[in-house]
Amino acid sequence: MLTLTLHTQPDVPLELDGVTPDRLLKLAAADVARLPVAHGNRTVELGTFFAVAGDASDGDLRIVGDCSRVKLIGSGMTAGTLTVEGHVGWHAGARMAGGTLTIHGDAADWLGAEVTGGAITVRGNAGNQCGAAYRGSRHGMRGGTVVVHGSCGDEAGLLMRRGLIAVAGTVGQAAGASMIAGTLVALGGVGRDCGAGMKRGTIVVGGPEPAWPPGVRYSCDYAPAYLGVLAKQLATLGLPLEALGVRCYRGDLIHGGRGELWHLAAATSPGPA
Amino acid sequence: MQIRGTEIADTFAEAFPMTASRVVVTAVSLKWAHVAAAAATGYAASVIGCDAEAGVEAELSPDDTPDGRPGVALLFFAFSRDALQKALVNRIGQCILTCATTACFNGLPVTDRSVRVGGNLRYFGDGHQISKLHGDRRFWRVPTMDGEFLCEDLFGTVKGVAGGNLILLGTSRAVALEAAERTAAACRTVPGVILPFPGGVVRSGSKVGSKYKALKASVNEAYCPTLRGAVPHTALPDSVNAAYEVVIDGVDLASVEEAMRRGMRAAAGPGVVRITAGNYGGKLGPHHLHLHTLLGPVTPC
Repeated sequence: MLTLTLHTQPDVPLELDGVTPDRLLKLAAADVARLPVAHGNRTVELGTFFAVAGDASDGDLRIVGDCSRVKLIGSGMTAGTLTVEGHVGWHAGARMAGGTLTIHGDAADWLGAEVTGGAITVRGNAGNQCGAAYRGSRHGMRGGTVVVHGSCGDEAGLLMRRGLIAVAGTVGQAAGASMIAGTLVALGGVGRDCGAGMKRGTIVVGGPEPAWPPGVRYSCDYAPAYLGVLAKQLATLGLPLEALGVRCYRGDLIHGGRGELWHLAAATSPGPA
Repeated sequence: MQIRGTEIADTFAEAFPMTASRVVVTAVSLKWAHVAAAAATGYAASVIGCDAEAGVEAELSPDDTPDGRPGVALLFFAFSRDALQKALVNRIGQCILTCATTACFNGLPVTDRSVRVGGNLRYFGDGHQISKLHGDRRFWRVPTMDGEFLCEDLFGTVKGVAGGNLILLGTSRAVALEAAERTAAACRTVPGVILPFPGGVVRSGSKVGSKYKALKASVNEAYCPTLRGAVPHTALPDSVNAAYEVVIDGVDLASVEEAMRRGMRAAAGPGVVRITAGNYGGKLGPHHLHLHTLLGPVTPC
């Protein structure tokens, strides 16, 4: 395992783009310390801010310290294990394609933005645009899983096309907005405009029933068999989903109404279960 | 060789490879899972006249099913992957999709030898079907009048073994049938095994061919007590007045062997004159399951 310990807080954002387990496999600790990273508008060596120790050859990378001002941790990662003991800054796990990224702290905005594979777990909270598409981009998350054990900000799953975003707490406004496919779970509830503009996909909402956008219509109360499959998957990710049925809505009708929005707590007649 | 006074014939069962798939059917209750299972595995006794051989392998608790509901595991056998896919799509489409509250899952590892089932049945959704991808597993959700039918896209296959068999010769029909029931129950305790015939018991043991050219198989007169004296050769000792066969299909050779082993031990007893097995002189299948070898050294009792 290779360990990077933050010894100096950057005064402006530091970008750890490319410092991922799969790219460090063949580098010695001293070489890793010499890697160029962006510090504001300057390029510095990684060792300027991090103490580097250990061996990277097993594909296991650990970052220790409050990295709230460190951006792009794990971005573009394709394999291996990256564990962060502390908070992380913007774009953590963005465009990740494989491997596992575990953050024992909070994550800032754009966590897992446009991720295509792998597994991201955040033990704390996440900021806005979790698993979302970057501005001007056509697709957000395209595969993999993003699990947030705390709460999440606005626009989670914006334009997501595939994969699973599961949040134990609440998700802010416009959750799953313009969603194309995939699954977004917000066990603690969502803010307004949830699923606005969605084409397909599934949004699962716990907590109090939200005010749905105008293009969402009630469908039925029932017990989808898929709910059990999803519950088992969430259980393996450490998120309990205990609902016998759902209150199902379809939307956004302005985009064909093929998306589905499930409210867990409001299901009064779970159909055949 | 004898077990509890029953002679074990020095012969072998001749088994042959078939492509097998395991289907896990779940429903709101075990009752409805069995309803679907009975329909889906009906008319699947022998590939002589059916598109597949099928049966219920085991009941599954909610902890053992992908959707946390009670279910049953079914095994299907066919001569090729293409034939198996066709049989699965037809049977699941007509008997499980149509059955109240059911869902259908793959029960074997998915490889490049898998067959596409949900991926074909999804078209029933007429564009309203929903795909869900969990890791490498794709599920199709098809709207139905009670909610949705959930079916996995791909079903894994293995090269299974079909045609394991035991023939039990009894002094009377009652004795032979009771022995056959004991045998079937013992065989079913082996994981990875089904008995495709009704109740696991066959009364119409057959031989290859017929005097009628259109028939692929016909009655095996050597085991019919009513033909003793009327045909040149009988396989029935004088004291035998009824015979039943138990046919065993398994996901591998070891499971079929173990089922035959347990079946013979369960069958032996008073009134069961002989336990033998059906073969075709070694010309049909590569697996020769010798009864004496399966039992190993047996202490006479």
